[in-house]
Amino acid sequence: MSALAPTAWARKGKPRVSPLVEIRLIAARELRKSIRSVKGIVLGALTLIGSVVSILICVWIEGGQREKMGAGSTQAYIDLKRAAIEKSTGDANLAAHLATVPTSLLLFLKITIWFGPLLIALLGFDALSGDLQHRSVRFWTVRSRRWSYFVGKFFGLWVLVSLITLALNVIAGSVALGKGYVTGGSLLTFGVQFWLVSLPISATWAAIALFISGLFRTPILGLLTTFGAFFVLWLFGLGGFISRVGDMIESGDAKAMSWYEYIYPNAYDEMLLSSDPRSIVTALGILVGFSVLVIAAGSAVFARKDV
Amino acid sequence: MSAETQDSTAESKPETPAAKAEAEAEVKASPAVIQPVKKKRKVAEAAVRMKGVIKRFGVKTAVDDVTLHVKIGAVYGLIGPNGAGKTTTFSMMAGYLKPTQGSLEILGFAPTQVDELRSRIGVLPQDAVLPSNDRVGEFLMHMARLQDIPADKAEDAARTVLAEVDGKDWWAQRCGSLSHGMAKRVALAQALIGEPEVILLDEPTAGLDPKVAFEVRQLIKGRKGRATIIISSHNLQELEEICDGAAILDRGRIVASGSMNELTASSEEVHVKLARGTKTTGAAWMQQVRELQMVKRVEFDDERMDLAMYFERKETDAETVISHVLWILLNAQVKISGVSKGRGLEQRVMDLT
Repeated sequence: MSALAPTAWARKGKPRVSPLVEIRLIAARELRKSIRSVKGIVLGALTLIGSVVSILICVWIEGGQREKMGAGSTQAYIDLKRAAIEKSTGDANLAAHLATVPTSLLLFLKITIWFGPLLIALLGFDALSGDLQHRSVRFWTVRSRRWSYFVGKFFGLWVLVSLITLALNVIAGSVALGKGYVTGGSLLTFGVQFWLVSLPISATWAAIALFISGLFRTPILGLLTTFGAFFVLWLFGLGGFISRVGDMIESGDAKAMSWYEYIYPNAYDEMLLSSDPRSIVTALGILVGFSVLVIAAGSAVFARKDV
Repeated sequence: MSAETQDSTAESKPETPAAKAEAEAEVKASPAVIQPVKKKRKVAEAAVRMKGVIKRFGVKTAVDDVTLHVKIGAVYGLIGPNGAGKTTTFSMMAGYLKPTQGSLEILGFAPTQVDELRSRIGVLPQDAVLPSNDRVGEFLMHMARLQDIPADKAEDAARTVLAEVDGKDWWAQRCGSLSHGMAKRVALAQALIGEPEVILLDEPTAGLDPKVAFEVRQLIKGRKGRATIIISSHNLQELEEICDGAAILDRGRIVASGSMNELTASSEEVHVKLARGTKTTGAAWMQQVRELQMVKRVEFDDERMDLAMYFERKETDAETVISHVLWILLNAQVKISGVSKGRGLEQRVMDLT
C-alpha cells in the first residue's frame, strides 16, 4: 500500500483548488516553459539585440533634433519643444505636458508597441495549438477547468511579454540616461509610465493570439492565422492614421480617430499617454473589455472542444 | 456468430427493462476494496456508467449506442481491433471527447466536472506527449498540486509514484530526454498520483519492451483492490491476465461483455490440444470422452488438433472435466500438447470481430 493512501488532504469535502490557484499554477508553468524553450531563448536574445539597436537609433534621432533646434541642455530642449507645441496647438497645458516627455523613450515606446504584436504572435502561436497537437493538453484537462487552463495560458503569455517589455525599457532608459537625455527622476516617471502603457495593449494582442492558437491543432496554421489577423488589425490602424493625416494636411485640424481605428489595439497608446484621466480610463476600459471578451470567447470555444 | 456471442451482444443491447438490469456489463468486486465514502461526498453506485452513448465525427459514427456499467473496484478491459471505438470510448470517459448523444458518468459525475473528479480519477492517455522542457519531478509536482494535493505534500506524492514506476532516479531529468519506456512510466506515474479511485489506462504497455511491460503489468496488478481500473488495450493476453471483466467492441458497438470467465467460457468448456498425427477417427478414447456424463458435447477441430468439451457450469467444473478427460487420454497413450479452460480471450475476440 502506498504511503499516500486516501488521507484527509485528498478526501475532505470540496476540493480546495480554486480557479485562481489553477490559473496561477498554469501561468507559472507556462512562464517557466517559455523561458526554458529554445524558441523563448532565441526570441528573447533577438528582442534584446533589437532593443539595443532601436534605442541607439532613438537617441540618435533625439540628438539630431536637439542639434537642429540648437538646444544645449535638456532643459533648453524641453523649453524649445514646449514653445513649438504651444504654437502649433495653442494649448499651454498640453504643451507643458508633452514637452517633458523624453523624445528618445517615446520613440522607443512606439517601436516596442509596433513590434509587440510580432513578438506576441511568435511566442503565443503554439501556446495551445502545440499542446493540442501533441495531446499534452490531456494531462491538464482532467485536473483543471478548461477555462482556467485557457486563462492561465493567457497570463503566462502576457506576463512573459510584460517582463520582456520591462527589460527593454530598462535597457532603453539606461542608454538614454547614459547619453544625458533624461534625468533619473524623469526616467523613473516616464519609464514606468511607458511600461504601464504597453501592458493593456500587449494584453489585448496576447488574448487574440491565444484565441487563435486554441482554434488549431497544427501550430503553423495558428501562426499564419495569427499573422493574418494581426495584419488585418494593423490595416485598420494604418487606414485610420492615413485618413487622419490626410484630413490634417487638408484642413489643418487634427481629427478624432475613425471608428475602425479603435479596432487596432495599438491605436490607444496616445490616449493612455494623455494628461486627461478620462482618456486614460476610456482607453483602459476599451482594451481591458476587449481582452476580457476575447478571453471569454476563447475559453468558451476551448471548453467545448474535443481534445 | 455463436449462440453465446449472440447472448452477450444482447446483454450489451438489452430489449426490456428487466433484461437491461441484468444485461449491463457488471463485474463484481469484493466489498473490502470499495473506498470509504465521506458523508458529504456524492455516493457513486458505479465507477463508470455509460448509457446509449454515441460519438460521431462528421458522418462517421465511431461509437454507436454503447451501454456500460463498471462496478466500483473492478478491473475492466476495453477490447477490440483498430477502429473498434475503444479509444474513443476511453476518451469520452476521460472527458477528452464529448458524447454526441447519451449519458456518461464517472463516480456519479460527468467527466467534465473536473472539480468533483480531479482527486478521484487518474488517466493515462495513449499518445499524449509529456511536456519536453519540464523536469520529471516538477511535472509530477505540478500535476499533484492541480490534483488538490497541498504544496507541502506534493513532492512526497510525486516521489512516491515515481518510485512506484521504478523511476526515482529520473526526478531531475527533462521529460524530453526520456526514452519511450521511461516516458510511458512517467505518464503512468501521473495517473497514479494521490491514490485515485478510478484509473483509466489507454494501452499502458504499448511500445514497451517485454521486461518493462511485465513491470507495468505488475504495477497495475498491485493497484487491484485499491482502485477501479479500466484498461483499453490490444494486448488480449495482458487483459485476460489482469482484468475481472471486459467489453469487446467492434465497429463502435459492444459485441460482448461480461466477466472474464463469461467471455472466455472458462467455466463452460475445456480444450485439449493433441499432438500432430494423433489418430481420432474411430478411436476408442474418443468414444469414452463422448460417454462422460458431465460432458454435454464434444467437438474436434482437425486443423488445429483441438478437442473441445462443453459442459454445464451448474453441474460440474472445468477442473473435474479436465481430470476425467486426461485420465482417458493418458490411458490411451494419446500425446497432449496443451490443456486450457475456455477458449481464451484471443479466440473469443477473433470469433466476434
